Amino acid sequence: MTSDNQSDQLQIRFVTKQEKYSVPDNPFAVPSSVTTKELNDLVNQLFHEGNAAAKKVEFDFIAAGELLRAHLGDHLNKRGISLESVVEIEYLERHPPPEALDCLIHDDWVSSVDVSDFAIVTGCYDTSVHLWTTQGVHKLSVPAHTSPIKAVAWLKTDGPVASFVSASQDQTCMIWEWDVDENTVRCTDVCKGHIRSVDSVAVAPDGNRFASGSWDKMLKIWSLIDDDGESEHKKARKSGISQTKTPQVTLKGHKECISGMCWIDNVELATCSWDHTVRIWDTEMNSSVREIGGNKSFFNIQFSKANNLLATCSADRHIRLYDPRSTEGQIVKVTLTSHKNWVSSVSWSSDRENLLVSGSYDNAVKLWDIRSPQVPLYDLNGHEDKVMCTNWSHSPLIVSGGADNTLRIFKSSF
Amino acid sequence: MVMPELSKKRKQSSLEKSQLGDEKKKVVSLKDVVGESDDLISSLPEDGVVDSDVSDDSSEDEDEPVDEDEFNEDSESEGDEDLNSEIDSDELEWESENEEEESSQESDGDPEKEDAVEIKSKNGIEKSKIGLRKEGVPGTSTQPPGEDEYAEGDTSDEEDIRNTVGNIPINWYDEFDHIGYDWDGRKILKPEHGDQLDEFLKKIEDPDFWRKVRNVQTGQDVVLSDKDINQIKRLESHKIPDEAFDDYAPWIEWFSSEVLEMPLRKFPEHKKSFLPSKDEMKKVSKYVHALKMGWMKTRKAMKAKEKKEKQKGPQFYLLWKTDDVADEMRRIENHIPAPKRPLPNHSESYNPPEEYLFNEQEMRKWNRERKSLGNKKLHFVPQKFNSLRQVPAYKRFIRERFMRCLDLYMCPRAIKMKLTIEPEELVPQLPSPADLQPFPTTASIYYKGHTDMVRSISVDPTGQFMASAADDGTVKFWEISTGRCLRTATFSGTARCVAWNPSSQMSLVAVAVDRKVYLVNPRIGCQDHIDQTDELLDKRPYQDKVTPPRVEAAVQWEYLSEGELHEQGVLIVLNHFKEVKQVQWHWKGDYVFSLMPDGENRSILIHQLSRGRSQTPFNRARGLVQAACFHPTKPYFLVATQRNVRIYDLVKQEMVKKLITSSKWISDITVHPGGDNLLIGTYDRKVLWFDLELSTKPYKTLSLHSQAVRSVAYHKRYPLFASVSDDMSLIISHGMVYNDLLQNALIVPLKRFSCHDKVNDFSLLNVTFHPQQPWVFTSGADGNIVLYT
Repeated sequence: MTSDNQSDQLQIRFVTKQEKYSVPDNPFAVPSSVTTKELNDLVNQLFHEGNAAAKKVEFDFIAAGELLRAHLGDHLNKRGISLESVVEIEYLERHPPPEALDCLIHDDWVSSVDVSDFAIVTGCYDTSVHLWTTQGVHKLSVPAHTSPIKAVAWLKTDGPVASFVSASQDQTCMIWEWDVDENTVRCTDVCKGHIRSVDSVAVAPDGNRFASGSWDKMLKIWSLIDDDGESEHKKARKSGISQTKTPQVTLKGHKECISGMCWIDNVELATCSWDHTVRIWDTEMNSSVREIGGNKSFFNIQFSKANNLLATCSADRHIRLYDPRSTEGQIVKVTLTSHKNWVSSVSWSSDRENLLVSGSYDNAVKLWDIRSPQVPLYDLNGHEDKVMCTNWSHSPLIVSGGADNTLRIFKSSF
Repeated sequence: MVMPELSKKRKQSSLEKSQLGDEKKKVVSLKDVVGESDDLISSLPEDGVVDSDVSDDSSEDEDEPVDEDEFNEDSESEGDEDLNSEIDSDELEWESENEEEESSQESDGDPEKEDAVEIKSKNGIEKSKIGLRKEGVPGTSTQPPGEDEYAEGDTSDEEDIRNTVGNIPINWYDEFDHIGYDWDGRKILKPEHGDQLDEFLKKIEDPDFWRKVRNVQTGQDVVLSDKDINQIKRLESHKIPDEAFDDYAPWIEWFSSEVLEMPLRKFPEHKKSFLPSKDEMKKVSKYVHALKMGWMKTRKAMKAKEKKEKQKGPQFYLLWKTDDVADEMRRIENHIPAPKRPLPNHSESYNPPEEYLFNEQEMRKWNRERKSLGNKKLHFVPQKFNSLRQVPAYKRFIRERFMRCLDLYMCPRAIKMKLTIEPEELVPQLPSPADLQPFPTTASIYYKGHTDMVRSISVDPTGQFMASAADDGTVKFWEISTGRCLRTATFSGTARCVAWNPSSQMSLVAVAVDRKVYLVNPRIGCQDHIDQTDELLDKRPYQDKVTPPRVEAAVQWEYLSEGELHEQGVLIVLNHFKEVKQVQWHWKGDYVFSLMPDGENRSILIHQLSRGRSQTPFNRARGLVQAACFHPTKPYFLVATQRNVRIYDLVKQEMVKKLITSSKWISDITVHPGGDNLLIGTYDRKVLWFDLELSTKPYKTLSLHSQAVRSVAYHKRYPLFASVSDDMSLIISHGMVYNDLLQNALIVPLKRFSCHDKVNDFSLLNVTFHPQQPWVFTSGADGNIVLYT
């Protein structure tokens, strides 16, 4: 906006979905050059008029469906909204900046991480799996595989025995049982079937199956339940030795390695690949249901139940959000751009539908609100090398592992 | 009583006004009446009885005309007034008013009367009413002729219309007491006439009895006026009934010889009189043309011209016009006027100012320079004269004019043609790089680990790993997606070249270290393939042929089964007799060649993996071999010496083609996966694109680099090629090869990267594309490998 327009006035009205912060519904005239800061003061002032004892609260403002990050006039102009009419501005309490909680030092690059309500499992390039409590106490180091571990995931975390799966470049996945009280770990199953490095695993929401994707372009689904209906863990525990497991289903379709996957529900599975496609599989029909084409290799994919979007990250530094159900119209719903290098991982917030966190090879972890596609909410600094994995599956904890041999834990205090 | 009067009046008017033809009819109708009246008159003596009632009535009416109106208003019908009763009371009201006026103003004058007449003329009913009213005043009924109520122009010859029975013999009603029906279908009663006695009494008492006639239609008596009687008399004497008619009026000659403004002739002018004459037209057009061309002038124009000339006075023209305007040279095309001589200045004046005259010093100088041919300031001595008369003839005039003519003649003038082509126009129109996506746009991952310059890199066929050979004697195996070094193999010496076996079933890398070529199993990737490769290359296969000594001396195969090298994955060592600069696999993965620039006629050795033996394809050295490569689709082998590239058919064992690069020193050569195009990098800064189908000369020469080009590479899938140079830059270009033989390759430089540092005058050494993705790797002298995505 040019300088002569700076003095333009425009009419705004504040609305909020957070009732405790509601202010009178009067329209206000503000200069178009107003930014979040002035609006924040204004709302706080209004809020104080109604409630003298109230503390000052930091707000964020949403105009035209996107978070306000520039001058309001510019913001509206860019989205082609008339400055003549009264603009409705939604405000909400600003997401507080996450605090760095802990930094867990590993011996080698941390390639993968998964968080449960009480423990964190990390996969490391030194072929070992590490178990930590959420408080950052190292519980166990498991020399699991013969090659770098590429993916880990919790299978079961309730009860005294937790179980997790680890996938490695040695072409196997291993299912482990961790006796939390005794702090012992045991391999129950070795899943053999892939003929190249296994890069991704994802456990179905019901916990009965998990899927693995590999450099051999295959997607394999593994069952965790025996044919007798008896959990294989129990069976394995009975026998006391680790068993070799074979895949329930092998699905072929991708033309390049499968780099990431996530379950949409208990049946549908989304995978992304270096062949520039996202495929959605029906694991009951054992077929590919849909294919979403991109134009860069995808590295990771995550699904958000709350807003029904697939977040993908790819080699061209962008995070793209796809609607897995829609087949027509614009396939890419939102593109989040701020990273300077490959985005290696994304992770949706488990309790906030609009928030996600991404880790990139530019050493940055960024916290995004999808309503603000150009500017992230916060940069979570700390990593000194490539960020390889992120996880936000248990709400307050944002964890990220990287090539600087650390796992960093941030707490989003919401 | 009134009716006959009315009709009589009408007849009068009609008689007065109507023309001759019409009058006869009238006369006839009148005659009927007259005839009757005649009868009446003739029958008068017979009757001899006079009806006194009628006169009584009339006298009564005469006395009380207003009363009668009142009577009418009451709409009572008695006797004669019955007729009135049929008329609407409203109308009667109106009529009565009118009647009042009429009766009062009859004598007063015309204007009011005219109104009444107007109204009456509106319809017959009104007329009749008025007539009825007048029946009460028969004495006054005879109006003066000037006050004819039909003066306005009632031309109707209708009979009395009160009775609707029509033109029927009235004697049909003799038996009834009515004589017909009025407009409303009510009976019109016969008026009382009394008997013969009454008739006779009337005859005796009424002096006007003789002029009374009875109207058979109404059965009432009508008194004929003097005029009527006169008319009748005229008719009887066969005269024109109108007294006013002039039998001898002056003759008006309607159809005369005089031209009338509104001609009486019916037919229009002949068409001919409207069409212009062709002859005239021709003449006129001739004149017009002459006027236009100026051959002819109108008198007006002539006069105006004369006048103008008179006004203007004497004419002047610009004497030196040709000085400014180029002479119109008729026969010389593009005539260039001779350059003008400079105008004389003050010193050439016959009376120059003092300062222009030479003083002694200047005079001496002029005398000194007089003989020299060099540029003199003046070639004459300025002189001063009192008047122009005293100026003598210029001595050098003839000579100078001659010299001038000589100059013009000896130095013909010509227009210098100036090129108006902008240099930009010479550059071909290339598509925008944005339309040629995808291609690498950023440096993404740095693979750091080598301590010395990385001479060679190679990507495994699946695209997951990459091998790099460095001068520090190490070969490192990297995971491409993360930049992780997975393994390092250390050799003693300088690792110059590394080549990953292109077969997807093998896990094998050829590494050239000094004089040795190691075939290394990197032991990453698919475990089956690793084991398979280990097994396959466990020991040398049986040699059914004796290796020729020439080959034996050049290379020895050594299969390793144990030892430190074997731990590192080395399966075979090929000991060469000279330093190996390059190794490259055939695309099937069975053959590998090694290139020794110093090997003279044995500089290229081709090793067959499956048989464990080597061969020297060439017997004669054609020069210092710089680079070589297998053809991707045909059994050809390309060898680049310093200046030329020779293509050999390995099966037929003959040379297919020789490409002339016209460059001084070739550095690298690579073949397009399609097989028909060739890319050559040279140390003299050029990248040459050869189209093998087209010619043996370069199709395109790209001079994009400012220093020696070290390496060139094609992408296997995307239309991309890249070149690296000592000027620290990697240039990625779009190189689209079309299947259509008529269409030449499209080459568009896309992007330049400079991500490597310069170390000892070396910067980038090798470039390789990712086999599947549009990514490119470069290795540099700074020990880094960079991935661009």
